[in-house]
Amino acid sequence: MYPPKLGYVIAENLEEATDFLEKHEDAKALAGGHSLIPMLKLRIIRPSYLVDIRRISNLHFISPGSDEIRIGSLSTHYEISKANIPLLSETATKIADPQVRNMGTIGGVISQLDPSADYPASLIAMDAKVKVKGKTERTVSFKDFAKDMFTPDLNPGELVTEIIVPAFKDYKFSYQKLERKAGDYAIVGVAVLLKTDGESIKDVRIGLTAVNNTAVRATEAENMLKDTRISEEIIEKASAKVMDYANPVSDIRGSAEYKKKVTKVMAKRAILEALKR
Amino acid sequence: MKVIEPDQKTKIHLKINGKDYETEVEPRRLLVHVLRDLGFTGVHIGCDTSNCGACTIIMNGKSVKSCTVLGVEADGSEILTIEGLAKDGKLHPIQEAFWEKHALQCGYCTPGMIMESLWFLSQNPNPTEEEIREGISGNLCRCTGYQNIVEAIKEASTKMKANPK
Ligand SMILES: Cc1cc2nc3c(=O)[nH]c(=O)nc-3n(C[C@H](O)[C@H](O)[C@H](O)COP(=O)(O)OP(=O)(O)OC[C@H]3O[C@@H](n4cnc5c(N)ncnc54)[C@H](O)[C@@H]3O)c2cc1C
Ligand SMILES: Cc1cc2nc3c(=O)[nH]c(=O)nc-3n(C[C@H](O)[C@H](O)[C@H](O)COP(=O)(O)OP(=O)(O)OC[C@H]3O[C@@H](n4cnc5c(N)ncnc54)[C@H](O)[C@@H]3O)c2cc1C
Ligand code: FES
Ligand code: FES
Repeated sequence: MYPPKLGYVIAENLEEATDFLEKHEDAKALAGGHSLIPMLKLRIIRPSYLVDIRRISNLHFISPGSDEIRIGSLSTHYEISKANIPLLSETATKIADPQVRNMGTIGGVISQLDPSADYPASLIAMDAKVKVKGKTERTVSFKDFAKDMFTPDLNPGELVTEIIVPAFKDYKFSYQKLERKAGDYAIVGVAVLLKTDGESIKDVRIGLTAVNNTAVRATEAENMLKDTRISEEIIEKASAKVMDYANPVSDIRGSAEYKKKVTKVMAKRAILEALKR
Repeated sequence: MKVIEPDQKTKIHLKINGKDYETEVEPRRLLVHVLRDLGFTGVHIGCDTSNCGACTIIMNGKSVKSCTVLGVEADGSEILTIEGLAKDGKLHPIQEAFWEKHALQCGYCTPGMIMESLWFLSQNPNPTEEEIREGISGNLCRCTGYQNIVEAIKEASTKMKANPK
């Protein structure tokens, strides 16, 4: 399989890349290439040019701060897995396989917005923000950025420059992914962040991926757990509530009915696993 | 900024197994084809869909699937393929371990499996069986059932610790 004929632009800095992309609406940015190149080989897309943004060094950083962590869009899944970011680093270890993690980038994942991608569950639970730059710069919540599946809030000539997540100190967390075979996209992925005080839960956030067009937060389930004493009963009830937020479709990864049921199972696992840490 | 038009070829420069190479490519040419055309036919194409890992090489120190990288994208990189592992007629410890533990049958997956093992062991020199299995989860083998591959990687880790370079 060969990609179709295309031009190639090597951008040395952000301005060159955004200018070229704005003037050529049918051009596409190339980050890790691990969504783009497979699609090119299958001839699903036929861009006029690829704009290689891989050499733009100010998109390639992870800077931890005391309140928030800034993650450059070119950070690879491997780099994020090693960065000790609550929840997000663990999520990165569950994406695909080692070779894909060495190439794929977080900016690529959220610009592609595959409904089954892993990061979105965690980014929605974390209230992540996305910094976007074209002619001007703006910052949007990840929730608003992810308009629909495969539909990021990006105008022609705009690139994701960084992702910003709160530091979540003193939070416990877990990302639980069910996959059909090693290295596959999720059947369902559940991200949980929680803060405890002795035997009670003070704060909790639950994000879901792969069971809706975009990632969602199970807010009613969160409310059931907040300010309660930890018990098997309340965890069981809250996990059942998480299931209400799953509206999956039947596909090769399972029937809608199956996916809905395993959402409850994975939610419970994620809550219990987070509590253990 | 460099612009290569769709019909244009461009020169790329690669350092492969320690030697410099220059070649002309169309932007759409995949790295796996560039390498095979330069004679590195140990880089196999199994699935061509980024799943099997037969095309795994080391690029700038990290394992990648060369069927999912463009030649132009790799311009300026340092690349290691299976052909670069044996030194002075002596096999690399991972190659020896694959031989001794009977970790291959048809051998199609082997170069990719060994290159991934090389990167994996550089990250985790003392792995458990479970870590090895996760480490090669991007490489498919249709013959062996993996058991002997896992044993070979374990054996290689012991060899490499006993004889570090
Ligand atoms: C075998 C395989 C298995 C996989 N399994 C999983 C999995 O289990 N879970 C998972 O989440 N993902 C999985 N993926 C996808 C992988 O994580 C990709 O790396 C990711 O979706 C895209 O990132 P990229 O850097 O490779 O982007 P690219 O392929 O380079 O780009 C993807 C899209 O985003 C655009 N883009 C890239 N960067 C930017 C930017 N900074 N600003 C604006 N637009 C941009 C591109 O123009 C393109 O449209 C898998 C991929 C493969 C090949
Ligand atoms: C993973 C694996 C495990 C195996 N395990 C076993 C096992 O446990 N036990 C076992 O017995 N075998 C085993 N085999 C071998 C298998 O049975 C082969 O199919 C068999 O050895 C060769 O038969 P073939 O028809 O595939 O021959 P081919 O591969 O087509 O040919 C083999 C050779 O014979 C020649 N040849 C073929 N047919 C003729 C003919 N009619 N006249 C003249 N020359 C001919 C060919 O030119 C060639 O040189 C295994 C093979 C594999 C890949
Ligand atoms: S040929 Fe590259 S992953 Fe299969
Ligand atoms: S030995 Fe045949 S595919 Fe692995």
